[in-house]
Amino acid sequence: MLSRLLARITEVSAHCDLPCGVYDPAQARIEAESIKAIIGKMKANQDPEFLTRAILIKEERSQLVKHHLWVLWTDYFKAPHFEKYPNLHQLFNEATKLAGGGGGTKAVSDEAKADELLAKIDEISKIFWETKQAA
Amino acid sequence: MQPTLRDGDLLLVRWGAAPRPGRVAVVRLPDDESGRPRPTSVKRLVRREDAGWWVERDSPVEGVDSWQLGALPEQDVLAVVLARLWPRPGLALPDPRE
Repeated sequence: MLSRLLARITEVSAHCDLPCGVYDPAQARIEAESIKAIIGKMKANQDPEFLTRAILIKEERSQLVKHHLWVLWTDYFKAPHFEKYPNLHQLFNEATKLAGGGGGTKAVSDEAKADELLAKIDEISKIFWETKQAA
Repeated sequence: MQPTLRDGDLLLVRWGAAPRPGRVAVVRLPDDESGRPRPTSVKRLVRREDAGWWVERDSPVEGVDSWQLGALPEQDVLAVVLARLWPRPGLALPDPRE
């Protein structure tokens, strides 16, 4: 009982480190999974306040998917990668569009769209890990 | 949890206090997908659901929350944050999104 009354200092975190260093497509995937979960939650809860918050957060997380993909596209991948994987530019273009406002996950609340986005990120992720193995 | 909390902030918490929506809490998160434990964390309590407490991060650009992890079991809400002691002492830690 006494120990419960005494103050103790515990270290707590607000976020976890990514497991694999600076670059990891998991960052984009986690946000895309979040988008899918948000869309699922929206079907189960019709409370207008909840729906408004869900749409706001879906917008925000979609923007984060684009951000994380752009970081990979511009910072991680280098010219030799684009030579070796000629479809890589196209993949990034399609993936970021799937997260966007022109029919992507910003604009629609469709789990199938979120699955398409996840599949596209997965294709990029496969290439990413192949380049890591080659390095 | 930026902009509410920053690295190194010293918080006064009450272990085992009753959670309330809107408060910041110390929580236990489930292990990550590789089975590695996540650190004990601070998150914003949003609402009580059937499955437990729905928690979110104040910073959209870092970390994970219930949108990925689902609601946390009640026993994983370990403590409620009462105040920041240092620096910028303050009782209110309002949600920046409200």
